Amino acid sequence: MASSQSEDREIDITTSIEPGSDITWVRTGSEQELDLPSSPSSSGYAGEGGGSTSATTGSLIEIEHEEEIEQEQMRIQNQIDEISISDSNSSWIPGKRHQDEDDGSISWRKRKKHFFILSNSGKPIYSRYGDEHKLAGFSATLQAIVSFVENGGDSVKLVRAGKHQVVFLVKGPIYLVCISSTEEPYESLRGQLELIYGQMLVILTKSINKCFERNSKFDMTPLLGGTDTVFSSLIHSFSWNPATFLHAYTCLPLSYATRQAAGAVLQDTADSGVLFATLMCRHKVISLVGAQKASLHPDDMLLLANFVMSSESFRTSESFSPVCLPRYNPSAFLYAYIHYFDDDTYLMLLTTNSDAFYHLKDCRLRIEMVLLKSNVLSEVQRSLLDGGMHVEDLPPIPQSGTSHLGQHTLPSDSPERFKEVNHVIGGPAGLWHFIYRSIYLDQYVSSEFSSSISTRQQQKRLCRAYQKLFTSMHDKGIGPHKTQFRRDENYVLLCWVTQDFELYAAFDPLADKALAIKTCNRVCQWIKDVENEIFLLGASPFSW
Amino acid sequence: MGCGSSFPDRDSGQLGRPNSENGGGQDAKNLRVKLVLLGDSGVGKSCIVLRFVRGQFDPTSKVTVGASFLSQTIALQDSTTVKFEIWDTAGQERYAALAPLYYRGAAVAVIVYDITSPESFSKAQYWVKELQKHGSPDIVMALVGNKADLHEKREVAVQDGMDYSEKNGMFFIETSAKTADNINELFEDMVNYATSRLPYDVLAV
Repeated sequence: MASSQSEDREIDITTSIEPGSDITWVRTGSEQELDLPSSPSSSGYAGEGGGSTSATTGSLIEIEHEEEIEQEQMRIQNQIDEISISDSNSSWIPGKRHQDEDDGSISWRKRKKHFFILSNSGKPIYSRYGDEHKLAGFSATLQAIVSFVENGGDSVKLVRAGKHQVVFLVKGPIYLVCISSTEEPYESLRGQLELIYGQMLVILTKSINKCFERNSKFDMTPLLGGTDTVFSSLIHSFSWNPATFLHAYTCLPLSYATRQAAGAVLQDTADSGVLFATLMCRHKVISLVGAQKASLHPDDMLLLANFVMSSESFRTSESFSPVCLPRYNPSAFLYAYIHYFDDDTYLMLLTTNSDAFYHLKDCRLRIEMVLLKSNVLSEVQRSLLDGGMHVEDLPPIPQSGTSHLGQHTLPSDSPERFKEVNHVIGGPAGLWHFIYRSIYLDQYVSSEFSSSISTRQQQKRLCRAYQKLFTSMHDKGIGPHKTQFRRDENYVLLCWVTQDFELYAAFDPLADKALAIKTCNRVCQWIKDVENEIFLLGASPFSW
Repeated sequence: MGCGSSFPDRDSGQLGRPNSENGGGQDAKNLRVKLVLLGDSGVGKSCIVLRFVRGQFDPTSKVTVGASFLSQTIALQDSTTVKFEIWDTAGQERYAALAPLYYRGAAVAVIVYDITSPESFSKAQYWVKELQKHGSPDIVMALVGNKADLHEKREVAVQDGMDYSEKNGMFFIETSAKTADNINELFEDMVNYATSRLPYDVLAV
């Protein structure tokens, strides 16, 4: 970032940074103060408490300095709020919440992470919280910041204000903004904005730009009607789905033969003129094939799966819908035939031919017959019950067994198993969790969460810690790292990057370093032993 | 409540249309009807279909994406069986341009509005015009005022629906997917109406 400061400067509101706050993740390009005309009525972030509104910076975005204790109380309260809303993944409620809020509401201002989409004329398009139409003034303010900097021949990427980061992403006539106090690195937040933009393209394609060429005041909100759940579920996935920052996809663990059987019947379909055929279980891939030379980017997979899973109507009956894969071709629609075999397992057949519905319906009938005959669907349900890799099952000595992912323990429904998990917290050497990403395959595997990371709040925190680790390992400014070992009050985090894979592991904060490294070697060996079950091998259509 | 239906007088003369993929009449007692539902979002198209096909009503609104395909076979009183192949299209504005994809092969178009929403009634008129302009000249159209159970919130008079449909040679009925009122009637009457207007072989399996 420092190298590009001439074109893209990063504005740092220095007065607001508290000493000791963690700002090492993003190095600032210049220490310039942004001196914009103050307009407290529409800023939304004007101090609420009275007296805390210091006018010294003159900045548009102003964060009050709350007392440490007050902040801590608020943080705890927020956590309690979140936990009481949903303490497990399944109870998360999709769709927009807090629709009644706007930038005048205190609750709205206190939300930790906002996402906005707006047009370059300042018209709101999407807001994570609150009613877009009521946020017109706030959108106009964001637009003013972007155009103010643009008028100076620059582009604004990041505004830092105390605990808040305001991240901007400009995509032609569309502006995307994230305002966050979550301390996630700039690169992560920017990556999230990229995905939100991609999700918008999945629904509308890039041809939306033409509407703005014809009419700069074009109101885009009606075109996104009914898609709140698609965006809210994507934003939710930023806090639990590693695919959102790894740019890789993950497979449902299955025996090699089962996955082969699914792949073979999909391949027949692809040979009959289907561009991509994918069989999925929730967000995990069972098998997928692409027509010759067609390649599917993991980000497109993520966005497509999110689109399908967050749209309830696909579960009701078979559907045929236009979709755009932004990495494949951002300008054109493909047509997706979507069918759920059961609550979790669904088939997506993508074609360029808008008349292909009846052909794809026939393909699905054939696929369904084969899947039933070869027990693929029942194996999928069994795998869902068994779960993925459990750190408790890490084999002591490398070995390859015939059991499900080398599990030596009793079946998951046995009470014996729970007893064991309860008294052994996590795996050997205090291993709590790991993610292994195969660079060659564009796939990753993530272990199940052990009992030490059982609440959603803990899982979200770990996901963010991995994100931070991922960012620091890929920071071009610091140069490529091979390994990283860091210890804080929550974990020991270990990262190991080679040409072939990246391993991210979380241990007990008191874990021994040498032992942790040894354990990571064992994890890699374990993955090699079961790679036939956890990855989709061969004929990877992923290349770009 | 006024859940009536009306058949406008139209001579069902030479409305023959080139026999497409529906050909091959083995048993003239078996009909196949390709039907498409069009209309503004939230008027209850999916609810009508799900009430007809599965006998269910789900008050939580699930926005349709693209179009859903469902089929249902019913037996009429004269023991004719009719297989409906139904395209339940998304009412969202972004899908309007893609509607031809779904109504192109349809013999019957059911255009739905919400009797509590005048906007949805004008949207229905937009769809009628669209079909008159771009649809098959033989397509049989029905105008359906849904949510008839919400009569205390009614903003579109029965007479308005009736007048408009008559003027445009459409079948008209008011329904409630919630109470199931007139749902089966809609589909059954549509068959009678369509067979009276279309040469029988167009619909025969």
